Amino acid sequence: MSTHPFRFAAICVSLLLALSPPSLGQNVPYQRLVQAPATPNDWLTYSGNYTSQRYSALTQINKQNVKNLRPAWMYQIKKPGVFEASPVVADGVMYISEPPSTITALDVRTGRPLWTWTPPIPDNVIVIGSPPVNRGVAILDDMVFAGSIAGHLAALDAKTGVLRWDIVVDDNRKGYYLTLAPLALNGKIIVGVSGAEAGIRGFIAAYDPKTGKQLWRTYTIPGPGEPGRETWGTATAAEIGGSSTWLTGSFDPQLNTLYWVTGNPGPDYDGDVRQGDNLYTCSVLALDPDTGKLKWHFQFTPHDVHDWDSNQIPVLFDDTINGRPRKLLAVANRNAFYYVIDRETGEFLSGTPYAKQTWADGLDAKGRPRVKPGNDPTVDGKQVWPNLQGSANWYSPSYSPQTKLFYQFTREMSTIYYKGQAKYTTGQPYTAGGGTAVNGDDAYAAIRALEATTGKLKWEFKLLQPGMDGVLSTAGGLVFSGTEEGNFFALDADTGKPLWDMQLGGPIHANPISFGVDGKQYVAIPAGWTMYVFGVP
Amino acid sequence: MVTRTILVAALAAIASAAVSGGVSAQSFTQAAPGKQLFDAHCVDCHGVNGTGDEAPAINHPLGADDAALHKIIRDGTPDGRMPRVRRMTEEEVDQLVAYVRVLSRGPNTPVAGNADSGRAVYQRLNCATCHVIGGQGGVLGPDLTRVGQRRAAGYLRQAVLEPGKVKPKGSTNILLNGFSEYLPVSVVERDGREVRGIRVNEDSFTIQVRDSAGTLYSFRKTDVQNVDKQFGRSLMPGYKDKLSAAETDDLVAYLASLGAAK
Repeated sequence: MSTHPFRFAAICVSLLLALSPPSLGQNVPYQRLVQAPATPNDWLTYSGNYTSQRYSALTQINKQNVKNLRPAWMYQIKKPGVFEASPVVADGVMYISEPPSTITALDVRTGRPLWTWTPPIPDNVIVIGSPPVNRGVAILDDMVFAGSIAGHLAALDAKTGVLRWDIVVDDNRKGYYLTLAPLALNGKIIVGVSGAEAGIRGFIAAYDPKTGKQLWRTYTIPGPGEPGRETWGTATAAEIGGSSTWLTGSFDPQLNTLYWVTGNPGPDYDGDVRQGDNLYTCSVLALDPDTGKLKWHFQFTPHDVHDWDSNQIPVLFDDTINGRPRKLLAVANRNAFYYVIDRETGEFLSGTPYAKQTWADGLDAKGRPRVKPGNDPTVDGKQVWPNLQGSANWYSPSYSPQTKLFYQFTREMSTIYYKGQAKYTTGQPYTAGGGTAVNGDDAYAAIRALEATTGKLKWEFKLLQPGMDGVLSTAGGLVFSGTEEGNFFALDADTGKPLWDMQLGGPIHANPISFGVDGKQYVAIPAGWTMYVFGVP
Repeated sequence: MVTRTILVAALAAIASAAVSGGVSAQSFTQAAPGKQLFDAHCVDCHGVNGTGDEAPAINHPLGADDAALHKIIRDGTPDGRMPRVRRMTEEEVDQLVAYVRVLSRGPNTPVAGNADSGRAVYQRLNCATCHVIGGQGGVLGPDLTRVGQRRAAGYLRQAVLEPGKVKPKGSTNILLNGFSEYLPVSVVERDGREVRGIRVNEDSFTIQVRDSAGTLYSFRKTDVQNVDKQFGRSLMPGYKDKLSAAETDDLVAYLASLGAAK
């Protein structure tokens, strides 16, 4: 995946000069998804391309002119809610999801809606563990794919929004629901599920894009007799143990390997009822996309009791470590450690704290945390760093091939963790405790630039409070992100120096993207209930 | 999982605030049925004791009456950010309402003084210089018109005697997520001029300050020499050594009567 930066720059300049006609004909075959890094005018997957680097090779907006950045258009969503969509842009059309599960296509030149589609959501829909959100869509060939909080997956005609098919991924009455953007592969649509706080058994599944037929399903908690089942203590614990899969994964076409991350075990804060490591919770799984078969796994937080899902974006890049070229996977985990893993083999290469943590004396040679005793939740409360929402969460980091830095919105915050008791009841919360956040003036956040192969801090830019803000880096030498207070800003990717900011009037809980059209580069970010698109005059 | 992302306005609608020191840390799921319901259904987003996490603090609901709060909990917030409570009986929602009210006001303590005498103390101390009651008074400090509904007597007593120790956090929908309110700040500009006042609002790039004369200042943080936030301090003088025990009781009784149910 390593690409010479000058080659990227040349590609993007030539693409920007090649003005595309204002046609709105969508056809995104699999090969376009594979080649997405070389076509930066589009933003074809949740994270831009299969590497999940959230990096744009476009250079028109750069360190010199970003001070002139200004809104090009805005689009206001039609129903208030938490707006966390990361848009997909293809051939002049931007596809977004509006809370809770509406899909809308916008003209990227004007922001005018082209179509919108809202699935039926029952009044008694069960959403336990997150707000009723949707983080985006996948596009493949002439169709757009989206999940819903009702636990469905739908395929829509990309030109008109007409429904092609709609299937039940799993039963919402048991607590299953979908918030993630699906990932489109060659002849497959991959999804994961939310619902660990309701006692689901998580899984990843692939569907035929033409028919919606399920091609495979891989549970993220082993079944009876399967390796890893013994890490749950009892069969009952395993069957309702969570391990949801609610964030879009990454893919390496050359290795033909799908990388997907998993969530916490349940009940969240009482580990007594699920003795063991609780595989494959809080892990990254490497899967054969043709069969769903597990190639390898790495568990970040065995036997988690702090709700530290590992639903953070697995970023793929190549580099040389100790003189050996490696295909790498990096995760800035919710548990405050930054991990570098060989993505061919699953070998742990390094792990280092990138935020304050008080629960582990580092990691051993295989990457397993040396857990400090006395940091589990208690009936009377135990203060631990990081916060219940983690040092990171679902929002995306960014990796720049230009700087070889990994940019992470880092949350510096603790929680007083409480342990309770939970009795499983279908469709009800199954958490056994909770936390009191030590927030406000006692917490802060920072954009941190880490050396991608080591996790060593290169620079940081401090922010007022921990939020849920993704990062975009660009070949223009910029890093874009947002704040809980509504600031959208650009930093110098080499130094962290602030170069531009604007108050957007609503909290930003989303990931920036960049795209190009008619020879101009744009940056897009949702804030509050509005999608903002910026460009330079 | 729990991304529990921000239900900001979710609670701007029902919550105006978290009370610092209102309720001390409690063991998990003990005592009242309302607390058990809260721990089961609400802590995921709003934190144990309702002090807020990614969702706003809710230990100070705005609802003037319990029926309004009941409706919001039962049906969810109008903006859709907080879903309705599932499978809860009307009686259970009432229990939840009662517990949220306790969270907001702090522990109930007896009121010993005389409210009418306390009104005279309030006037003698010129409290109206900084506080509003019934639309009359200064605006440097909190509006006390309905403070008796929002705060229990124990909290009010400490606020009178040692105001720096019980400053509210997140009690408005301006600076959410547990930030100290009425925080004294000193801003030194590049030319050396200093502005002292209270923090009105702040983001990662700017801060807004109002001085004792009511003048509003807006600063970009990169344009000033220094921003000093004086935690643990209050612009309000403490009356620990300035009031007799009887005067304190009377003043607390007066404040507790403001907006309280008759």
